Amino acid sequence: MNHPLTDPLLISLAAPLAAALLLALNLPRRWVAGVAWAGFLVPALAALHVWWHFGAAPKQAGYAFLSEYGVGVPSLGIGLKLGLNGIALPLFVLAGLVGLAAGLVALRSGAERLRGYLMLLLVMQAGLMGMFASVDLFFFYFFHELALIPTFVMVGVWGGRDRTYAAMKLTIYLTVGAMLSLVGLIAIYVKAGAHSFDLVTLREVLAAHPLHATLQTHIFGLLLFGFGILVSLWPFHSWAPPAYSAAPSSVAMLHAGVLKKFGLYGLIQVALPLLPSGFGPWTHLLAGLAVFGNVLVIGLVTIAQRDLKLMIAYSSVMHMGYAFLGIACFSVLGVGGAVMLMVGHGLSVALLFLLATSIHQRTKTFALDRMGGMARSAPVLAAFFAAATFASIGLPGFANFWGELTIFLALAKLSPALAALAILGIVISAVYGLRALARVFFGPAPAEAAGEPAQGAPPDLGWGERLPALILLSALLFVGFWPKSISAPINSALEASAAFSVSGGAPADAAAQAPR
Amino acid sequence: MTMAPPTLAFLVLLIPLASAVLIALVLRRRGGLASCVSLAAAAGLAVGAAYLALWGGRFSFHAEWFRLGEFSFPIGILYDDLAALMLSVVAVVGLCVHVFSLGYMRDDTAKARYFGGLSIFMFSMVGIVLSDNLFMMFAFWELVGFSSWLLINHWHEREAASDAAKKAFIVNRVGDVGFLLGIVLCYWRYGTVNLGELGALSASGAIFSSRAIPLLLFCGAVGKSAQLPLQVWLPDAMEGPTPVSALIHAATMVAAGIYMLCRIQVLMVPQALTVILWVGTATALYAALCATIQSDIKKALAYSTLSQLGYMVAAFGLGSISGGPGPGVASGVGAAMFHLTTHAFFKALLFLGSGSVILGCHHEQDIFRMGGLAGRMKFTFVAFTVGVAAISGLPFLSGFFSKDAILYLAFANNRPVFAVLAFTAALTAFYMVRLWRVVFLGAPRSQAAGHAHEGGWSLTAPLAILAVLALVGGYAGLYGHAFSGVLSLVPEAVGADHAFIFATSVVALLVGAGTALVLYGKRAAERGEGQAGPPDALERGAPVLFGALVRLRSSFDRVYDYYVAKVQQRFALVLNFFDVIVLAGFIIRGAAGCAGLVGLGARALNVGRVNAYVCWLLAGVVLLWALAAR
Repeated sequence: MNHPLTDPLLISLAAPLAAALLLALNLPRRWVAGVAWAGFLVPALAALHVWWHFGAAPKQAGYAFLSEYGVGVPSLGIGLKLGLNGIALPLFVLAGLVGLAAGLVALRSGAERLRGYLMLLLVMQAGLMGMFASVDLFFFYFFHELALIPTFVMVGVWGGRDRTYAAMKLTIYLTVGAMLSLVGLIAIYVKAGAHSFDLVTLREVLAAHPLHATLQTHIFGLLLFGFGILVSLWPFHSWAPPAYSAAPSSVAMLHAGVLKKFGLYGLIQVALPLLPSGFGPWTHLLAGLAVFGNVLVIGLVTIAQRDLKLMIAYSSVMHMGYAFLGIACFSVLGVGGAVMLMVGHGLSVALLFLLATSIHQRTKTFALDRMGGMARSAPVLAAFFAAATFASIGLPGFANFWGELTIFLALAKLSPALAALAILGIVISAVYGLRALARVFFGPAPAEAAGEPAQGAPPDLGWGERLPALILLSALLFVGFWPKSISAPINSALEASAAFSVSGGAPADAAAQAPR
Repeated sequence: MTMAPPTLAFLVLLIPLASAVLIALVLRRRGGLASCVSLAAAAGLAVGAAYLALWGGRFSFHAEWFRLGEFSFPIGILYDDLAALMLSVVAVVGLCVHVFSLGYMRDDTAKARYFGGLSIFMFSMVGIVLSDNLFMMFAFWELVGFSSWLLINHWHEREAASDAAKKAFIVNRVGDVGFLLGIVLCYWRYGTVNLGELGALSASGAIFSSRAIPLLLFCGAVGKSAQLPLQVWLPDAMEGPTPVSALIHAATMVAAGIYMLCRIQVLMVPQALTVILWVGTATALYAALCATIQSDIKKALAYSTLSQLGYMVAAFGLGSISGGPGPGVASGVGAAMFHLTTHAFFKALLFLGSGSVILGCHHEQDIFRMGGLAGRMKFTFVAFTVGVAAISGLPFLSGFFSKDAILYLAFANNRPVFAVLAFTAALTAFYMVRLWRVVFLGAPRSQAAGHAHEGGWSLTAPLAILAVLALVGGYAGLYGHAFSGVLSLVPEAVGADHAFIFATSVVALLVGAGTALVLYGKRAAERGEGQAGPPDALERGAPVLFGALVRLRSSFDRVYDYYVAKVQQRFALVLNFFDVIVLAGFIIRGAAGCAGLVGLGARALNVGRVNAYVCWLLAGVVLLWALAAR
């Protein structure tokens, strides 16, 4: 039990909230940047602190840094309880790092009504940190909503093209997804009968007295589609491309990089351990939707994109397919691979959105046909974008490679044919990734190609843009070269989970009985 | 030196990585310093490799890199004679190319990126060579693909270079789909992808019966070693700087496919070997035919590389000779690796020689705009002549021995393949002597060729070293016992067979070289000057044949271009339409309208209303749910 003032988890979500409140207090203008800076920096530092100390920290049921605060509704079993297990830890660090990078981008964005924008972004950041740090299901959901609602507002108010349409579509889809998953969570709470939203208690109770298998299947279905919509499971993905395309850079970074992972995290942290025998009937449907829908169809759709930001948005939908596939394997290897991919994808997609904005500032367009030859005058920008592209298409040395490799392995054990189809995705992603890279940076500049005199060459990345990009790129490379840094906690958490030890070989059997 | 050999091996692996990191972080604007750092790394690597080969013993070592569930990702080193031979080849050619690059890239504006790329390539390549398991090899396999992309893309202002780099990476990834799937299936089927453990399993009598696994793994070699039908990227890759072509696209990376096959030899089954054999044979013949009509000096050499790689793949596919040394496919491994070694020397020599020529002629690559360089670039001429003689199989030069070993193996195991390979040997002599005759003899056919000049020491020294190796590299005694584990496997013909193979190869050389000298002889060369008509004597003499060869060469690219532009792209657009219009527009928006028509509720008519969206989204979920969960 930590003292509230030294609890890094509480600090990580209180600091951005406090910063947002300070900004609301009509501070002198020159303080705004500093306060916001601190609000983004503190969670990142707290995240690195807990990551560093996680191994040695005392743990209770796999959770370290546990602390309870008397906030909530005790009569309903709701209480703010913070802690991190091995699955939450890497995502908590991800949220801290991407939040810092997104904050740095926002500070330089020159947005109108900057103070309001920063306030909302800080609230979102607090929600993201809280979402992964909550052990209580109610607060887990609450913090997600805390991060989600500012997203709607920021897309609608500060967004680019078609922002009203995008914001509305985003709101509708994600509200439905969140509602479905909320119904599922409440069903678990009611049926478990433990009068507690505490995940640890629920795990113990449901391990001792599992729900009836049919009931588990139905609740799992609610959670799967609820969370699935939030993670753009095909065919419920069509909110994502317009939303990311319209969203301001920092919001796209935080949503695609971190917030979207909520659904996958919920499946792994809540649905699988609490409803282990409810997943069997769904595994084949999930794997099929993910392979054919997310990986192959959306992969090809990504190839057809002519707009840089839409391409990144679609590629993000495609990569979520791999994460779903890892989960569908229902093994430590597959689910662990999904968590590793979530981290890698979160970092790389945030970096891509960040750099896409830097490109837009120079070219005033996202249309790939109207770009070219930027590597000449902006070699550093080109190098960063190339690194981000190769990271996202799974080059070894970057975090994403480990996620993809382990997911393919786990999938091949389940079904070699599905694995073969999923592996085809590595060609598809190479096609769209390298095509965009070449279009933007190599070959002749568009003006030259049209025979017009060249205008002023676009300038290279300044240090202000390099810093957030460097944060993300270093993390990608660090995990790429030192995968143990995140795989060790993930592995120990998953191996300790009863879900995999009880039904390690079960999904295949359960799936065999599943009605088709 | 007191360092333990495994530590030294890791050091050899990490030195070039350190160089690349240093260059990327601090030497981006210091091209001169970057080239020194990279050269020092290559030299350090060469010293380490030599020490390991001669005095390092043979060892293996591995450790767990990370673990998830039942899967443990291992990193380890398997340093046997096979790895020692390959590492030595990579180190020697790598060092020569680094030195050559000092001169060749002297005035380049992005020298730091170039030398950083060379270092990252050396790191990745050494990683492939030392890997003791297929997962680790795959990781480095992808990294060499990346370094190849980076270096082909070096002159990225040129659209052709950018396109070629992209094509190389994507085509390699097509092969890697099979490779990765093969590795993954091998892991689940045999419980390990560690090369030593697979060897031990096979020695203890376990039967590797899968045909799919070796063939899937072979897909990786088809991509990396540019065999049919994925050969299309290699000729385009010549857009990269010439030293890169010598190192990556002739001597080392493209040979990695053959090396990988030798590493996984225990997994081979006869049916898989047959496929491998015919893919290699077809590539050898196809590429040799294409090489006869090239007018670009680098592309001619690229097709020649393809053809020689086909020889190596075919040699591997021929498998063991009856009564030959070693188990399994040992003779094939010996012959393939022997040819890989000699080819690395003479092909790197030819490419660097062509680089010297290109630089001497101020970046002219058309052989019909050269001519008469023998007098102006005497040193390059001598070195290039050695290379041509070696690749054509002039008796007692390196290429002669290694090619004879393959021909003998084919003669003993498969006569049709022998016939094709012998014919290909004649073609090889033809296109190489044609190139040599047109470039170096006769009169200069352009201003640039008339003013050609020899380069500095950094260009000539590597040529000299490689020329010596191309001369004597075929004498196995030269290497002592360092690589005897591989070179003792090379099949050697004796008695009547020996005489027959010798005769075949001399006849092939004489026919090929003689035809080339007659066809591109003095009259043809003189006629070419300032006259109408195509410059190539073959095109003038036999336009139908020439046209057929041109169509043959471009047939693959035409098919792929058609597929990409007309099939894949259109399919992607249709799917995009489906995604945007049908899924997002019709099902979600239009469904609301349809619902009104069926009278499910007047409110839903209001297209775009929140309620309608929510209703239909929920309906879709319920429908899917009903389908799956009864």
